Amino acid sequence: MLEPLPPSRWSPEAAAHLLNRAGFGGSPDDIAALHARGFEAAISALVDVPAPESPEPVPDWAKPGETFALRRELRAMDEEKRRMRLMEKRKEDQKHLIAIRGEWLERMRSGPDPLREKMTLFWHGHFAVSAEKVRSPYLLWQQNCTLRAHGLGQFGALTKTVARDPAMLIYLDTVQSRPGRPNENFARELMELFTLGEGHYSEADIRESARAFVGYRIDPATESFRLVRMQQDSGTKSFLGKTGLLDGDGVIDRILEQPECARFIARKIWVFLAGENPSEPLVEALATDFRRSGYSIRPLLRRILQSAEFYAPANIRSQIKSPAQWMVQTARSLEMPLPPALFAANAMRQMGQLLFAPPSVKGWDGGRAWISTSTLLIRYNLANALLRGDVSGLVPDGRPALRRAARARLRGPVLDLIAPPALRPDPARLVDALAWRLFQSAPDERERRAFLDYLKARPAPPADDTLVGLAHLMMSTPQFQLC
Amino acid sequence: MSSREPRSNLHTRRAFLRTSALGAATGWTIPLFLERTFGMLDATAADAAVQTLTGRDAPILVVLQLAGGNDGLNTLIPFADDAYHKARPGLALAADKVLKLDDRHGLHPNLSALKELHDAGHLAIVQGVGYPNPNRSHFRSTEIWQTASDAQRNESTGWLGRYFDNCCAGADPAVGVSIGGEVPQAFASPTPTGISFARPEQYRWRTTETAQGRMSPSEFYYRQLNRPEEEEAGADISEGGSIGMIGGAGAAHATGLGPLEYLQRTALDAQVSSDKVLEIARKFPARTEYPRGRLADGLNLVARMIAGGLPTRVYYVSQGGYDTHANQQGAHERLMSELGGSLAAFFKDLKLQGNFERVLLMTFSEFGRRVAQNASGGTDHGTAAPLFIVGGGTKPGFYGAPPSLTKLDNGDLIHTTDFRNVYATVLEKWLTAPSEKVLGRKFPTLAFV
Repeated sequence: MLEPLPPSRWSPEAAAHLLNRAGFGGSPDDIAALHARGFEAAISALVDVPAPESPEPVPDWAKPGETFALRRELRAMDEEKRRMRLMEKRKEDQKHLIAIRGEWLERMRSGPDPLREKMTLFWHGHFAVSAEKVRSPYLLWQQNCTLRAHGLGQFGALTKTVARDPAMLIYLDTVQSRPGRPNENFARELMELFTLGEGHYSEADIRESARAFVGYRIDPATESFRLVRMQQDSGTKSFLGKTGLLDGDGVIDRILEQPECARFIARKIWVFLAGENPSEPLVEALATDFRRSGYSIRPLLRRILQSAEFYAPANIRSQIKSPAQWMVQTARSLEMPLPPALFAANAMRQMGQLLFAPPSVKGWDGGRAWISTSTLLIRYNLANALLRGDVSGLVPDGRPALRRAARARLRGPVLDLIAPPALRPDPARLVDALAWRLFQSAPDERERRAFLDYLKARPAPPADDTLVGLAHLMMSTPQFQLC
Repeated sequence: MSSREPRSNLHTRRAFLRTSALGAATGWTIPLFLERTFGMLDATAADAAVQTLTGRDAPILVVLQLAGGNDGLNTLIPFADDAYHKARPGLALAADKVLKLDDRHGLHPNLSALKELHDAGHLAIVQGVGYPNPNRSHFRSTEIWQTASDAQRNESTGWLGRYFDNCCAGADPAVGVSIGGEVPQAFASPTPTGISFARPEQYRWRTTETAQGRMSPSEFYYRQLNRPEEEEAGADISEGGSIGMIGGAGAAHATGLGPLEYLQRTALDAQVSSDKVLEIARKFPARTEYPRGRLADGLNLVARMIAGGLPTRVYYVSQGGYDTHANQQGAHERLMSELGGSLAAFFKDLKLQGNFERVLLMTFSEFGRRVAQNASGGTDHGTAAPLFIVGGGTKPGFYGAPPSLTKLDNGDLIHTTDFRNVYATVLEKWLTAPSEKVLGRKFPTLAFV
């Protein structure tokens, strides 16, 4: 169980699989380079990137405390001015939100630590908070930094930090909690969604533990966590079979003592990175080590990524790309920039994964839930937009200004790169090269024949338009939706 | 036709495929893996209460979301109540302005279309609809309505998604159609059923390549690539059997497919349903004049899809702009006028089509607004509100008790009817679906259907 992959099975396909799952894929050159390192060095190159030493610089638009100041400012205004000011504020927020979405996608595409970004995305869906309720782009940015900083560290520290995170305090109503009237929303989701899963705690556990988070507030001047000791409930609590004086951290420590917590998290991370329906013994093996290590995430990831099971044929190209994966991997494999932030955000919304706006506290269901007939057609049409700057099928017909703007701003791939002139006279080599770039595997015979027939149906040697058409055709397949 | 009865076996299914109304549009035979899908379906059909339909005879539900929190008290006006006029000195509508339905209630003056439907016996009004422990956040309260969850529980699947899963397994993906850019959370499911588009031309594969003849090479090969390999299937399905109506294998069952098979199946569904939507849009123009505006455009599209026989059980449309915190009067008048005018055209269209009896429309909003107006000539987020049930199949009248305007909870109405009673009624009595499976527990039904 979970033995490392034998070096003899380390192949370009395996390297591509690792790069897709532990990160966001790469170009054929990226894959070749990773393969050339050898298995152990390749794992290390992804897992052991040193963490950035200093905290991320606060974006220059962020003014912590401005919400508080704004509230005072608004009180002094008359009705009309107040409305104008609020509208202006909403516009600014929207702009900053688009910016942080774009910056995060860019970090996924070109940042130095793809596994960290991948796990930040995982934790973003796990500890979900939404701009729909939280509103403040600053607090959302801050949560993103928290998930990134702790995402490969200790799960316990991560959970305790998230419990104090201002965006989470708002999203799950902890700030509404009052002595004698604890709000149970956070306590319930802490156990149901964040640590244990349904069936491993009682309603009484929720009520008791909710008391421990009373007094978790946001300091209005700094928009950071503040513990209001006066409000804390210092009474004894009976929680998960033990009675004692528990504060918020104590509740989380007690949860971590439950073996189910390690199983729950290990299973979820395996599914996110490796494949569906892991066997119980496999989960148990991961969970046992995870718990013994004090819930250290990085060793868990290493164990998963180097296991022979991770490279089992059933797990290769078996995962439906999330919209974030689709967007970033497309840019990486075609060696092209991401589309402008606003365009990307709209496209992600249409595909069903707008960052910083998961549909509920459960995050995104993922897997098959990404794909409906509508979202699949959006993916296909988005491919055409990225390749040709043609936004038909994404925006309504009869919006010529919008179309022209999109065409001007979307840069397609460099054709000499993705379809080298030397290959163009030879349809078979051209198809195979582009298929490897886009699928990281050979297409099946029927698909390959269709690609070749397409080239045959167009004048030879293939003109630029034909090459782009071939790429669009390849991206308009079920195969391309998998990684 | 017996389309509302649970489907029984593969034989029925094949017969159904052969006789499907629009199926003739596509002449492909049924690939083997879809056959297998049906096999799986049949194995579970006994307890799945699967419904099939042909698009020509089954009852249709139209859900109309009034997004932003519609002011119920200025939609259905309790004009005889002094408390109403006292709480809203600047916003209250006088007794002589409203369209009186009885000696206590009147409709907003711009809802004459609903007044006419009322007088003709096609309008039911459920009063005081809400839920316990009301949430005043748009996001959260909308989520509660969409998922039909208790206020203190978080649920990720939508109530209509669960209806599709439980009752429409194996149905065409167009069993649910949402007009707009995104699929509403009400449709959410682990394996999504239902399609969404703002305009038919967006719901199709688009290429930039120009066609020399009838179809560009891109499009030709796109079609090749997005349908599974044709298998030498048995004679009884190749005799003109069409995949026109098969579509989704049904959510619960689709989990038995691998990711690639699931994608292939959805890709085929997408191709087939997009062809169908485009064909209907081309062949079935509106039969009556619609006013301008997004809601009217949406309902116009729904009416055309109904006319064309798209096998849809639930259409979803929405109208935004109801968050009237300031200077509400003019804004709300415009919203009511758009709502009234669009509904008038829609139901007129349905009558001309002869489909009026088949369609039930239900409005909802995430909450009503506070009883008292605020200092900006608007109203803030509230709780309970009335909702409308319109169509040939309604039993007209008032349902649910009118909420008191004096016994309030922190200035808000106390709901008298749980919205899930309304859902249960629509599910049980209109869609003939087992509501308990969809809603998680039994909610008593009302008598409006």
